[in-house]
Amino acid sequence: MFLLSFVPDAILHLVVVGILFTGVGIYVLSFFTRFIPPLIPYSGIARIVGTVLIVGGIYFYGSYSTEMSWRNKVAELEEQVKVAEAKSKTANVEIQTVYRDKVKVVKETQVVIQERIKEVEKRIDSQCTIDTEVINILNEAAKRKVK
Amino acid sequence: MKLLLIVPVLLLTGCLSTPVQRSFPDVPEELKVACPDLMLLEPTTKLSEVVSVVAKNYGQYQECQIKVDTWIEWYKTQKEIFESVK
Repeated sequence: MFLLSFVPDAILHLVVVGILFTGVGIYVLSFFTRFIPPLIPYSGIARIVGTVLIVGGIYFYGSYSTEMSWRNKVAELEEQVKVAEAKSKTANVEIQTVYRDKVKVVKETQVVIQERIKEVEKRIDSQCTIDTEVINILNEAAKRKVK
Repeated sequence: MKLLLIVPVLLLTGCLSTPVQRSFPDVPEELKVACPDLMLLEPTTKLSEVVSVVAKNYGQYQECQIKVDTWIEWYKTQKEIFESVK
């Protein structure tokens, strides 16, 4: 069935319908062989071959319909995937824009805060002296323990 | 004889191949960058220097928080899009 996917729809349809109608043709012709004496011995064989081709043709037509239904489903799914991929890209752009905007706000706030610290630097340094142990404790808290 | 080997190969590739290929959605480059470590203090007795580093670390945390929130948002959005294909 996998190899059938390489055969174009039209050719597949032509082959299936060809088998079916050849079978019908041979079967119908088998009734006229009685009017042609040299063909009389082949009447039975023609009927059997015709019947086999009709049965085979109907079977193949069923398979063809199933194959076509799967191909349609695949085409539908491919279309959905294409739409989803486009949506995904658009969503990524939107997410990226929102992320950049938020980070920008944080960075701008940081600049303002650092400036404010500089403004009051002398005042807060004159009021408080930090013990070296405070630095050690803060550094210990900030260090990454698990990689 | 060698040509006959191609037949089972072709038939077996049918078992492996899927008719519709789906690619994993891309992630914005910024989100792939790991959050940096927190800044450490240089030995000092000045409160302003300590406050400055602590404030920078707060900023760094907020950036990282935004990154995690964005990852969650990205996952939810992409999952919704992925599940819309049925």
